[in-house]
Amino acid sequence: MSLLPQFLIDSILLGGLYTLMAIGFALAFGVTRIINFAHGEFIMLGAYAAFWLFTGWGLDPLAVMPAVIVLGFACGWLLFKAFIERVLTAPNINQILLTFAIGLVIQHIAVILWSGNSRSTTPEYALKALTIGDAFIPYGRLIGCGVAVLLVAMLIAWLKWAEDGRAVRAVAQNSDAATLMGINVKGIYALSFALSSALGVATGVVVSFIITVTPFMGFPMLVKAVAIVIVAGMGSIVGMVVGAFVLAFAETGFAYYVAEGSGWAEGVAFVLITAILIIRPYGLFGDAEA
Amino acid sequence: MTELLSLSNIRAGYGESVVLQDLSLVVREGEMVCLIGANGSGKTTTTRVLTGLLKPWGGQVAFAGTPIDNIAANHRVELGVSLAPEGRQVFPNLTVNENLLLGSYSRRARPQRKRTLAEVYELFPILASRRTQKAGLMSGGEQQMLAIGRALMARPKLLVLDEPSLGLAPKIVLDVYRAIVRTAEQGVSILFVEQNVRAALSIAHRGYVLANGRIAFAGSAAELRNSKLVQEAFLAPRRTNQGPAPVKVSPISTQREGGFG
Repeated sequence: MSLLPQFLIDSILLGGLYTLMAIGFALAFGVTRIINFAHGEFIMLGAYAAFWLFTGWGLDPLAVMPAVIVLGFACGWLLFKAFIERVLTAPNINQILLTFAIGLVIQHIAVILWSGNSRSTTPEYALKALTIGDAFIPYGRLIGCGVAVLLVAMLIAWLKWAEDGRAVRAVAQNSDAATLMGINVKGIYALSFALSSALGVATGVVVSFIITVTPFMGFPMLVKAVAIVIVAGMGSIVGMVVGAFVLAFAETGFAYYVAEGSGWAEGVAFVLITAILIIRPYGLFGDAEA
Repeated sequence: MTELLSLSNIRAGYGESVVLQDLSLVVREGEMVCLIGANGSGKTTTTRVLTGLLKPWGGQVAFAGTPIDNIAANHRVELGVSLAPEGRQVFPNLTVNENLLLGSYSRRARPQRKRTLAEVYELFPILASRRTQKAGLMSGGEQQMLAIGRALMARPKLLVLDEPSLGLAPKIVLDVYRAIVRTAEQGVSILFVEQNVRAALSIAHRGYVLANGRIAFAGSAAELRNSKLVQEAFLAPRRTNQGPAPVKVSPISTQREGGFG
């Protein structure tokens, strides 16, 4: 039995999820130039929201997703107004420490409230799978990937055609020139950060029925998002999609084709970060000057 | 003619370095006024102060008779002040059309966007043929036209142009100047900053000479052309009194590489 079809399916389904995860992370960074090290915690909060709503009230994660997204947007907005806005012009190290601290605080509040136990959300579709020949396609992953692709497509369309989406791209490229267009740059920063948070919790809802939910799940996902952005280089959504699939194929390939590889697959992101930073520090799709 | 823009006793600079000492100037409705001066004399700083990008240390900026010192830069666009900044500053990864659409982001301009867009494409036919091209891939002259067109998309009462001829071939300068004159003919007041003094005085009604952060001379275009100061400093084939080169204080660049999207 060949592993190839299964390898391709798993990689592609994972790549879709990674795209959503990375673009959500990169949106805030690309516009405000502040790396949000708490992005993983937003993913974790989204996953817990889905878990509790499912376990407590039997609500399907996909059904509650719009509400969770709105809540994530509101929390992101408040977080920006309360903390992030104050460090916009501060040294990078202050910004990093601030978002890192926010992440730690959220993570530990989650431990206090919900303990460190692993949980899983098990809607019916998460337990079923489609079999084509030898290949095995879990419905949960298929649905998760579909939702992720849909959300990313919506974001891209908004950036391309909406008035404020265009303003987001303008601010990311040149904030002074954007001001001269009459754009409220701080407002666009807040909007981008809030949207990024909304995409973060949406990622969490999607992974809640795919992987186990713990208070510590955020950080490894943050590392992967960072790896994808480094592989892609700043500024290119196409690059981000490619980066996400590069990581997905690399991790899956490692797990399938290297002896004892599945234990090491989680480390692939670090290898990619190191390799790209040495060989091509501006990423596959970034500008050399960036 | 009523005063549209007036700067009174402006003092401004960056960090510890003073750029504008005590600058006052006026642009009246329907006028085309040029501001000339050597590198580092404070021309760009003046445009940053009047558009609100830089907060002055002292003095007053008034537009249409009302002080606007406390009005943020993005809200000044709504009043009708529009700047085509130094170095063009187009959005490089956005298409020509997207750049122009952003020019009419303001509430003031959005309802008339379609009409203005058609007018701008008519004024700069080259932009119409490059509609879907990324702005960063165009030549300097085309980018300058785009920057002016983008500023016009805001339907300004006052159009401010910072060095519209810088780095352009003489023929292109002519095209750009023709467009500026046509814009003025439609009733838009214009303040433009130039190092190309001969060209500037060929179209301006009036002018100011800026030196060391102050207005050193003011008058009609003819008066400027005939003044000893302007002739010696700017129009003579070789400079006769070259003092120590002024220090160019650049504003902190906000042009960013990459970006998102």
